[in-house]
Amino acid sequence: MTAITASRLTLTGINRGLPGFARFCTYIGAIIGVSAFAMFGPDGYGDEGLLYFLSASSFSWIGIGAVAGLASGTALGMARPSVTESKWSINIVPFLDGALLMILLAAIWTMFEPAASAVDYRDQSNLFSGTVIMTMNITLLASALLYITHLFAPASIVGRLATASAWVGVYAGGSALLLRWYESYMLDMAIGHAPVSNLYEVFILLFCITTIVYLSLERRYGARAMGAFVMPLVSAGVFFGIWLSAHGHADIKPLVPALQSYWMKIHVPMNFIGYGSFAVACGAGMAYLVRERLEMRGAKSSLLAVFPSLDQLDQLAYKAVAIGFPAFTLATILGAAWAAEAWGGYWSWDPKETWALIVWLVYGAYLHVRVSHGWKGHSLAWWTVAGFLVTVFCFIGVNMYLSGLHSYGRL
Amino acid sequence: MNTQHWFKPYFDRLSSMSLAIALLTVLALASAIGTVLKQNQEQADYLTQFGSLWYNVFLSLGLFDMYHTPWFFGLLVFLMVSLCVCLWRNVPHMLKEMRPGKVVIADKSLKAFHHLKLWKVDNMQTDEARAVVGKALSEWKQRSAEEDGRSYIRADKGHYHKWGYILVHSAILVILVGGWIGAQYGFRGTMTVVENSTDNTIRFLRGTTTEQLKMPFDVRCDSFFIDFYPTGMPKEFRSTLSILENGKAVVDHKDIIVNEPLYYKGVRIYQASFGDGGSNVALRLFDPATGKSRVINTEVYKTWKDPESGISIEITNFRPFNIENMAEAGEAKRFQDLGPAVEYVVRGPNLKAVKVKSFMNTFELNGQNRGHMIMVSMSGQDRDYQPFPLGLDFSKPTDWQLFQRFAEELGKRGDNVSKEANFAAFRSAMTSVFGDKRPDNFQQMGMRVLQAMNSLPNIPWPFIPVLDDYEQKYYTGLELTQDPGMNIVWVGSAILVIGLCIMFYVPHRKLWVVFKPTAKGVEITLGASTNRNKMGFEQEFNALLTRLDESLRPQSNDRSTA
Repeated sequence: MTAITASRLTLTGINRGLPGFARFCTYIGAIIGVSAFAMFGPDGYGDEGLLYFLSASSFSWIGIGAVAGLASGTALGMARPSVTESKWSINIVPFLDGALLMILLAAIWTMFEPAASAVDYRDQSNLFSGTVIMTMNITLLASALLYITHLFAPASIVGRLATASAWVGVYAGGSALLLRWYESYMLDMAIGHAPVSNLYEVFILLFCITTIVYLSLERRYGARAMGAFVMPLVSAGVFFGIWLSAHGHADIKPLVPALQSYWMKIHVPMNFIGYGSFAVACGAGMAYLVRERLEMRGAKSSLLAVFPSLDQLDQLAYKAVAIGFPAFTLATILGAAWAAEAWGGYWSWDPKETWALIVWLVYGAYLHVRVSHGWKGHSLAWWTVAGFLVTVFCFIGVNMYLSGLHSYGRL
Repeated sequence: MNTQHWFKPYFDRLSSMSLAIALLTVLALASAIGTVLKQNQEQADYLTQFGSLWYNVFLSLGLFDMYHTPWFFGLLVFLMVSLCVCLWRNVPHMLKEMRPGKVVIADKSLKAFHHLKLWKVDNMQTDEARAVVGKALSEWKQRSAEEDGRSYIRADKGHYHKWGYILVHSAILVILVGGWIGAQYGFRGTMTVVENSTDNTIRFLRGTTTEQLKMPFDVRCDSFFIDFYPTGMPKEFRSTLSILENGKAVVDHKDIIVNEPLYYKGVRIYQASFGDGGSNVALRLFDPATGKSRVINTEVYKTWKDPESGISIEITNFRPFNIENMAEAGEAKRFQDLGPAVEYVVRGPNLKAVKVKSFMNTFELNGQNRGHMIMVSMSGQDRDYQPFPLGLDFSKPTDWQLFQRFAEELGKRGDNVSKEANFAAFRSAMTSVFGDKRPDNFQQMGMRVLQAMNSLPNIPWPFIPVLDDYEQKYYTGLELTQDPGMNIVWVGSAILVIGLCIMFYVPHRKLWVVFKPTAKGVEITLGASTNRNKMGFEQEFNALLTRLDESLRPQSNDRSTA
């Protein structure tokens, strides 16, 4: 037990102080380097898309940025040690580490790709991303089962296994998406595009984001029992993803003209931060309702001890909404900006837009009753569950039942 | 002093939270209606869908274009009024709250804090302790005071938290105002321009009627172009446009594609759709009885009438590419471009009107020429198209000759329909057309002729129209918009996001430290509170306590939680 505490301390330790801050600056430098390359690099960013960034000159720009960032970060950190305790750096560095790990994993996966001659648009089953996605499916399903088992065996290793497999699922899903991005260029240079263009791809993105939001809350507040509610939601999505791929919706397809815009890479992931957070809020709400029911029935205290307290669950649901609501607002605004560029107006009362507004109003009302009416607990827990149902309709229901301008995600 | 106005109760009600929540709910429900009920469709479709009673009810409520009805507008106005009243009432309070509060705090108030800690530090003077604590709180905004021999430090973080509320609510007002300005003074309509022609009028729906608006300039479509992926999916729709003012080109040959509109004098011009702009097509009318054919020239959207038979051909569409799925049912999809095709409706005396798609090229299957093909839709709907192979390749006169001879030879053999007899008939037909020199591909030719034997007699028209030649002309469908409120909306959006970030991520945390000199040293009490993020603050508070413990440790010998 002490070994784990120690390792956790060293793990959080490297995000603080000079090592954390210098790393943060290195990442920022690399990001500035890659942006500068996109804007001012030779020939400019064009049809080559992703491959433009996989060239020697791109790596040298990124490298220069990273080294400059490392140097200035170290210098600044040594000159003024107080900056190294900045919340920004401490909170963001783990996510950047994770992103780097995902990129490295995707780079490793490329070695398992079939030869260029064996890659065929009409039969994409031999692409390696399929294998990685299957790994993600299995680990996410396993983690859901483990989290539920954890409720009944809190002292055993099961809980840690659950967290570990959820992390494996996140990295498998994230690296599979990056790999798919690369594969789209392998199929044909003209087809290549970011992997957020159809329902199957955004589903994988949604699993990853939901799990990441949940895991960061778990890590911060030790609310592992919530996983038994969030991960089954993700698992339901996993089954839907498997259904999609079984019905031939998993193929990489070329982008229709309306989607050929850099806005797609911004608007879509931002939206899924919103959806994912609302899913986590729903998980916390469900955990609240279950705990409340257990308390009423006078359940075993050992089972109750696993759960965070009602007050904490209420807070966690609110925290998830607090992540999701601004992200969803921003995503909707970015979508409006895109619409202004592609459809002739920032708002067209398209069913997807309108349902996004409805989702926004539902959570807006949630915040009002919570903050100003001082509602708490039971009814708000139901609210997060109902809100998530509205969100699911906005995400999938609109694609299935209502037609409109957003019809590329159609089933 | 405070005179009670008659409107005071209404005013209170308007700014109440219950009203705000009710409004949000009603707005959400109302918006949902318009997504379930398809907006701006043909009135006739609505009538058949709902029947006359409900059609009239829905029509009078404006549900077929409900986002532009007065009642929906009224709902938004009501929301704005409520927001204004709410801001009017609450902003002064909030501004007052954000002003630096009092530093000195009574014991009773301090004790009420959820987060509370007491240190009894010996061998340390108040001033020294104050310096130590002040240093530990370096990230906080501090003020200090002294009263009745006690020292106080008040520290704040995120004291501007309430600006979050103010910004968010004002931002929504700004966005609604921007939207209103756009709806009032902007326009959004479509214009279809045929290649090499100009237009200057946009059309848009207002309620159930189509209205027109003249632009202060002319738009000329110089060309329209579609690019395809190797898979056959469209990759790019590109219009080359020029803008003319008084006949002079002020914008010359500028390309627009779907995500890259053209901007001219406050008007944005978008690529929205495309279609056939009246292409010239030549049809070869093939007479299966005589083997003769003639060519007629017509245009898409025009009707050609044969004076002899009274049959009319209305050309409805032309497409240079026709990507069709060639896979059998159950097979993986296999797309093939069947080349240029024209669609037309054939009408005539005693004939059922049918829709036909006729291809210019012969149908190639696995590298074999299977002759010309048409697709026929008996219902006139596109989804009912059935392939109808004609068999013969009309570009080859020998095909028809062979077909004709074969028919004659079959006729000679009368009732003998055995395989051998058919084969013998085909052989003698071959000999009479080609003599002893048989062409290399006579097997394919045989297949075509056999197919024609099955299909040609079923055609009720005296001739078969096959696409012979074309000169394509597209129209480009443009969307022209002007929205003077758009930038206001962007400003509002930016304020909204900033406000939300402040609201959610910058909680107002306050703490008081009271220093009481004692006989041995000093007694320090710390009380803290936050208005948001209680769990996060718990951690922050504990971290602060650890830090203070360390700073005060060398001197402290007695610590206890209050």
